[in-house]
Amino acid sequence: MGRYNAALLKLRMAGALLAIASSLTACNAKPPDPQAALIAKGREIFFNETFNGNGRTCGTCHREERNFAIDAGFIATLPKNDALFVAEFIPELKQNFENPRLMREFGLILENLDGFDDLPNKFTMRGVPHVLALRTSIASPQGPRTGWSGDGAPGDGSLRSFALGAVIQHFTKTLNRVSGVDFRLPTDAELEALEAFQLSLGRQADLALPLPLRGTVAKRGQEIFLDNGLGKCNVCHGNAGANRAAGNNANFNTGVEDLPDQPARLTGEKVPRDDGFGRPGDGTFNTPPLVESADTGPFFHNNAIETIEGAVAFYNGQAFNNSPSGRFLASTDPNGVGIRLDATQVVAVAAFLRVINALENIRQSLELLTQSEALGFFEVARAKPPLMRAAHETRDATAVLAGAGLHPQAVALLEESSKLIERAEHSLFSRRGLTREAIEVQEKARALLVEAGK
Amino acid sequence: MRALLSGIAVAVALLGAISHAHGQKETERFIPIGQSPGVSQKQTSIGEIAEVDAAGRSVTVAEQAGRRTVKITDKTRIWLDRTRLKQANLTGSFTDLQKGRRVEVKYEDPARREVADWVKVEIARP
Repeated sequence: MGRYNAALLKLRMAGALLAIASSLTACNAKPPDPQAALIAKGREIFFNETFNGNGRTCGTCHREERNFAIDAGFIATLPKNDALFVAEFIPELKQNFENPRLMREFGLILENLDGFDDLPNKFTMRGVPHVLALRTSIASPQGPRTGWSGDGAPGDGSLRSFALGAVIQHFTKTLNRVSGVDFRLPTDAELEALEAFQLSLGRQADLALPLPLRGTVAKRGQEIFLDNGLGKCNVCHGNAGANRAAGNNANFNTGVEDLPDQPARLTGEKVPRDDGFGRPGDGTFNTPPLVESADTGPFFHNNAIETIEGAVAFYNGQAFNNSPSGRFLASTDPNGVGIRLDATQVVAVAAFLRVINALENIRQSLELLTQSEALGFFEVARAKPPLMRAAHETRDATAVLAGAGLHPQAVALLEESSKLIERAEHSLFSRRGLTREAIEVQEKARALLVEAGK
Repeated sequence: MRALLSGIAVAVALLGAISHAHGQKETERFIPIGQSPGVSQKQTSIGEIAEVDAAGRSVTVAEQAGRRTVKITDKTRIWLDRTRLKQANLTGSFTDLQKGRRVEVKYEDPARREVADWVKVEIARP
C-alpha cells in the first residue's frame, strides 16, 4: 500500500509538472496569425477535402512528397484503391474519364479542355504540373495564367477559381457532373483558403542571376543559359523562372506537340493532338518556372521527356527549331540559328538547372528545420510535419545532384543530414539538438554549391 | 550586341503577348447560374428573358437594374443549366433562349455589356 501511494504521488507530481510546462508554452505562444491560419485551412482542404465527389482531393495528384506533382514511378507504389485510380474501380467512371494505362505508364491525366460534348474523341492527356512558386509564375498583363496552357480556370480565370474547375473535371462521381449530386462546389471561403495555401508554396520571389556558383560545369551552364546568343534560355525563362525579361508570364508555341516518338503515342492508345490555349487552341502553352524543374519531371505538358538533360536537348531539335518560337529566335539571330547546343553544353545547362533546384531544396529544407527546431520540447506533434517535409526536400536535393554526378561532397553531407533528420523525427529528448546538427550540415553542403551569403 | 539583345527581348515580349489569357470556359458549363467565382454579378447579369429577336439575334433580359438587350453571336456559348433537375447541363442553342426563362449572361466586354460571351439558361422543368 505504501509503495502504491508513493507511485501515485510520483505520477501526480509528473502530471503537475507537465501541466505547468504546458501552461508556460501556452503563455509564450504568439497570437494567431490570420494569414497563417488561412494557409493552414487551405492545406487541410487541399489534402483532405473530397467535395462529396469520387474520393479524390487536390493532393491525390499534387503529392507533397513528389513536389506537388506526380509521376509513374510514384504511381507504381500506390495501392489499388487509391483515389487516383477511380476510373479502375468506379463503374460510372470507367469510360472517358481517365486512361488507366497512360496514367500508370506515364503519369498522364485526362482533361476535357476543348469541351465536354464529345468525350470519346475530344480530350487531352497531360502531366500534373507542380504548384510551387505560383506567386512568381502566373501573372500576365492579360490576366492570370494557370495550368499547362494558361487557361486552366473557369470563372474569372484566377488561381482562386482554379480549384472549382478541378473539382468539376477530376472529382466527379459520374460524367453527368451535376453540382450537388456528383460533387459540391467549393465555397468562397474554401477557394480563398486554397489560393492562400497554393501561393504559400515554394519560392516567393525570382532568383537574381547570375549566382556565384562553385561547380565548374554548372557555372558554365549558367553562362550558356544567360547568353542570349547561345543558350537563349533566359529570353523566356528570365532568371530561370517563368517570366520573360519584362517580368511577366506568357504563352508560346514551342513545338512540343510535334515531337516524334512521344511515349504516350507509341503505345497505340488514342492521344489527340493537344492544341493548348483556348478553344479551339492556338497551339501555345504556358512557360513554367525552371528552378523547380529538375525534381519535378517528366517534362512538358505531355510528359514527353523523362530527364532534365532530354528537356534541354529538346530545344536543339527540329520540333522546337521549326516551331513559331524557334523560327522567331532564328529570325533574331545574326546566323539564322534558333538554338544549337552541343552535348556538353546541353549537359552544362542541365547541371545548372540541377544545382539551382538543389539550392531551392536546401533553402526550403533549412526553413522547415529552423521552424521545427524553434518548437519546444512539448510540441513534438507540431515539430514532426516540418521535419518530414525537410527530409523530402533533402532527399530531392541529394537525388538531383547525384543523378548527374554533381558535387559529390555536398551529396555526402546531404545524406548525413538526411540521417540526422530521420533520427530527430524519432527522438523524444534529442529532437532539437539533432535538428540543429542537420541544419549545420546542410549549410555546409550549401556552401559547396554557391559562395556564402548568396 | 546590346541593341540585338534588347531587340530580342522586345520581340519576345510581343510574341508572347499574342495569346490573351481568360478563364478556361469549358468547366463553366457545369457551374450553376449565379455561382461562377469572380464572374457572377460582376461580369454577368441574371434575370428573365423578356423578349427574343430571332432575326436580329438578340435577347432582352429583365434584370433588377432594368431591361438590357444583348447580342448573341456565333461565338456565344449557350448552356442549359439543369442543376435543379439534378440532371447534366447541356450545350444549348439560340432556340433555347425562350421568353420567361431565367438566364445568366456573361458579356464579352463587361463595361459595355452589349455582346454575350456565354448564356446559361435555367431549365427548371423536365
